Amino acid sequence: MISRAHHLQDDRLFECYLAGLDGTAVDRLAAAHLAECPACAAHLRELVAFMDGLRAEADAETDAIFTPERLRIQQQQILHRLEHLGHAARVLSFPARLMGRRMARTASRIAPRWAVAAAAAGLFVGVGVGTLIDAARREAPPAAIAPIPMVVPPALAPMIVSPALTVSDPLPAADDDAFLSDLEMALSGPRNRELMPFDALTPRVQAVSSQLP
Amino acid sequence: MSDPGPVRYPASPSAPAVAAQLPERRSAPGKLADDTRLAVEIRELVERGHANEARERFSGLVAAHQRRALRVAYQYLRDGADADEAVQDAFVKVFAHIGSYREAWPFEVWFTRILINGCLDRRKARLRRDRWFVPAEEARGADEARRAFGGASDLDPEARLLARERRDRLDDAVHRLDGRQRTVFMLCHYGDCTPREVSAMTGLNESTVRVHLFRAARKLRGLLGGKP
Repeated sequence: MISRAHHLQDDRLFECYLAGLDGTAVDRLAAAHLAECPACAAHLRELVAFMDGLRAEADAETDAIFTPERLRIQQQQILHRLEHLGHAARVLSFPARLMGRRMARTASRIAPRWAVAAAAAGLFVGVGVGTLIDAARREAPPAAIAPIPMVVPPALAPMIVSPALTVSDPLPAADDDAFLSDLEMALSGPRNRELMPFDALTPRVQAVSSQLP
Repeated sequence: MSDPGPVRYPASPSAPAVAAQLPERRSAPGKLADDTRLAVEIRELVERGHANEARERFSGLVAAHQRRALRVAYQYLRDGADADEAVQDAFVKVFAHIGSYREAWPFEVWFTRILINGCLDRRKARLRRDRWFVPAEEARGADEARRAFGGASDLDPEARLLARERRDRLDDAVHRLDGRQRTVFMLCHYGDCTPREVSAMTGLNESTVRVHLFRAARKLRGLLGGKP
């Protein structure tokens, strides 16, 4: 028997709290003391209230985050994951159209042996022919490189510096005035209307030559 | 404050010892709890190749343990998305390994052990990640908002603020507990586990579990302003 002068220690009170939680029997001596000692009974009530408060806080906090809707969604997600349990991971082909082409190309890359032999023969022939051509070039006397004919009007020929070549047989001589008048006629045609403003700004040969001293 | 490490099973429990460890508040000694019986049935269905039926039955287990599992996971991880994923992973793992389940242990003990090991792994991974990356505060903001307003929407703003402050103080106090004290306290208080079940989950002696629980409660009372 625990006398009222010796109150229950905290650990004994906690055992009483746990016993109440588990639904098991409280220690007989402690129960008798609690029945007689209001101070210890008050301490036990205080302890129970404190622990219940902690629990209620945690429950409220968790319930606020995990609402019934979220619980339902989570259940669905779990069942969805279970349905795919044990299945091999699906590889997404991306992009599908290109992957199809790539696969076809990969299949066509498997070349038969004759293709390899033909490629080797082609390489051999190419190297042989190249060697022969090179040898023939070395044996041949160096030939004068024909100059590229360059058409230069005779009037401009004196202005061109060497190594320009003058054409030995120039184009038929044409009268400058006739050429320019032909040009003016062409410019005045209906297809060159867009160029007319530029034409208006361009001085005429005849006008310029008349003004010359 | 150190992590308690993975929860261990005691080595090969004998049948009488197991019968003695069954929780009185859930089932009588020697009688299987409902969830344990359901787990055994699911295991047999899987072994017979009836996967679809097993999945349907498993949804009952999910519904029975989901809320408690989320409460435990959230208290460990303090992040809604993390807790959500941890609980999903635990259920998937349980179903994938249901063939190895033995009714010698209550299903709740087995499941909670898997869940807590997953939570501890996630905490370690988060610690490693946080060394290199800035923690995503904005992602936790949504949880904070729900914590502050979702659960106490009927309260006035002052009461909501006070409730939030109380929760923050409680979080801080719980995380200042020693690793084993915290584990035991969380399992008993948030996980609805008896000291016997916690003993089965952690491999600690039942009296040791009671001592840890008592010390945790005393420390919390001291930290939270109650009588130590």
